[in-house]
Amino acid sequence: MQIQPILAALRRHRLATLLITLQIALACAVLSNASFLISQRISRMHAPSGVDNAQLAEVSVEGFAPDQASNVNARMLAMLRGTAGVSSAALINAVPFGDPAANAGIKLDPSEQGTHGVMHFYVGGPGAFQALGLKVVEGRAPQAGDYQPVADFTPKQAPVVITRALATSLWPQGHPLGKSIWIGSRRFRVIGVVKGLIRPAPFTSSNRPAQGSIFVPGQPGPQLVGRYLIRVATGQMDSVLERVRKAVRQMGPQVVLDEAQTASVESLHSSYFQTDRSMVALLLGVVAALLLVTALGMVGLASFWVSQRTRQIGVRRALGATQGAILRYFQTENLLIVSAGIALGVVMAFALNVLLMQYYEVPRLPLGYLPVGALALWLLGQLAVLSPALRASRVPPVVATRSV
Amino acid sequence: MLKMTHLSKVYRTEVVETYALRDFSIDVKEGEFVAVTGPSGSGKTTFLTIAGLLETFTGGSYHLDGVDVSHLNDNARSKIRNEKIGFIFQAFNLIPDLNVYDNVEVPLRYRGMKAAERKKRIMESLERVGLSSRLKHYPAELSGGQQQRVAIARALAGSPRLLLADEPTGNLDTQMARGVMELLEDIHREGATIVMVTHDPELATRAQRNVHVIDGQVVDVAEDRVFSTSQLAEHSPA
Repeated sequence: MQIQPILAALRRHRLATLLITLQIALACAVLSNASFLISQRISRMHAPSGVDNAQLAEVSVEGFAPDQASNVNARMLAMLRGTAGVSSAALINAVPFGDPAANAGIKLDPSEQGTHGVMHFYVGGPGAFQALGLKVVEGRAPQAGDYQPVADFTPKQAPVVITRALATSLWPQGHPLGKSIWIGSRRFRVIGVVKGLIRPAPFTSSNRPAQGSIFVPGQPGPQLVGRYLIRVATGQMDSVLERVRKAVRQMGPQVVLDEAQTASVESLHSSYFQTDRSMVALLLGVVAALLLVTALGMVGLASFWVSQRTRQIGVRRALGATQGAILRYFQTENLLIVSAGIALGVVMAFALNVLLMQYYEVPRLPLGYLPVGALALWLLGQLAVLSPALRASRVPPVVATRSV
Repeated sequence: MLKMTHLSKVYRTEVVETYALRDFSIDVKEGEFVAVTGPSGSGKTTFLTIAGLLETFTGGSYHLDGVDVSHLNDNARSKIRNEKIGFIFQAFNLIPDLNVYDNVEVPLRYRGMKAAERKKRIMESLERVGLSSRLKHYPAELSGGQQQRVAIARALAGSPRLLLADEPTGNLDTQMARGVMELLEDIHREGATIVMVTHDPELATRAQRNVHVIDGQVVDVAEDRVFSTSQLAEHSPA
């Protein structure tokens, strides 16, 4: 191969080579980190919620006095259950991707120092567990006798159902049933485990796991009022919500619909990840612009070198280089420059990742993203250099005899 | 070694056809040192480019070392250039980014030769031209005469069957030109076949045989005799 003479020639053009190498290194560093951030955001958006987003909706009302709680609950539940298209309705303090209601640090023993993370307590009235459609994988669902009065966000003592991810995290050896979870002096005994239930505001911090959800059966009352979960027949969500809005308006001045929180879980999901979608679009734009600039830089430099070396190419052809050999020369040259850029870019990628980790909640860059960035840049380099290299290969050998 | 018969080279545009070579015939035997002379625009450089397979021709036939090169594709022509022909150009045509060693190595790499064999040949050919102490020098660090010697070493390194020289002393002063010509004569004495294109009558006298070209045709062939300056001047443009 021509590697040694190519390197020798590049040493004679240090500045141009260094600049393009640095540009490639920067592209590699940004590309690796941006790909990681993009894939992280996308995987968040596609994280399973554990419920059927399209069929569930939250209906939220406010404006009533605490002593009207029982009356409002009764009227609302009656109205919702009587609305065409609603298959079930129940009280709940929060729904996935809606506003969180009860986050608390949990302990496995009240005397423990520190907590096992901050979990979200979904407090649901009778029928809520079934309306959510949660899949029990161990133990049982709450039964009629399990519903306790709510005091300060949760019942004081209650049987609870937790997610499988939380159960595995708290008791890696298994057997979560019958175990206790504590918030201060409040004790919650695990009676069941569900496949999954995402917390209302997932992915906000590392000590708030996305599947850190605990379902607590609670009795409707002054502290469990105004937020309702409805399950709607497929394809009827918009019309049902419209009927519900109309019905609430007719309930009188004491009951006011919270428009922002009255929406399908799917719609709440979409709103919740709006920032992530914008970030993905922005990062894709940055990556595309950077790759374009890098590709143009490589095309520009290769074109300049081909023009500058036209006579030299003619001489090489005269000395026996085939068109393929000239093409390979420029492709190999590009491969070497891009490889040097990638080698430097890998170091810069980790440095950038460390910097991002210091200022933002970004995990360590997995090694797997580096080959992806490297491969993308190698391909980009080869594509970028192809046109100038083909032009070079078409330089006729007779150019060697022409006067300068 | 080199035989062209009724060869023609026509450059065509939409409105005009220009004959650079017309009914051009020449036969160079193995071991000959032939000078091709002629005034500017006579077609002698076109002859050299066709002889060196740097360009194709329009009509006639051309046999190089017994091979009919009329219908060879680009790769086959490249292979013959690499293996059978050594070029010496007026402008030296060394690659400025490569040092002396790497410059001489260029055609050997295209031949796919092993590194050890390449090194042996490079050292031998550089010693032959008296530049074995300048391996790491770049062309810009050498005089014109030295650069042309490196070019000759590059041409010799591949042990070509034919050396084609295009005004090899055209860019050199008298003293350097003399040195380069003596080197070519030495190489010829060792058995090489050399075809040299020149417009310099003095230089042509050093060759074994002279071929004079005017308007793309061979007008005179002088074998084993020396053209005088006045004789050549008769064919030069006024």
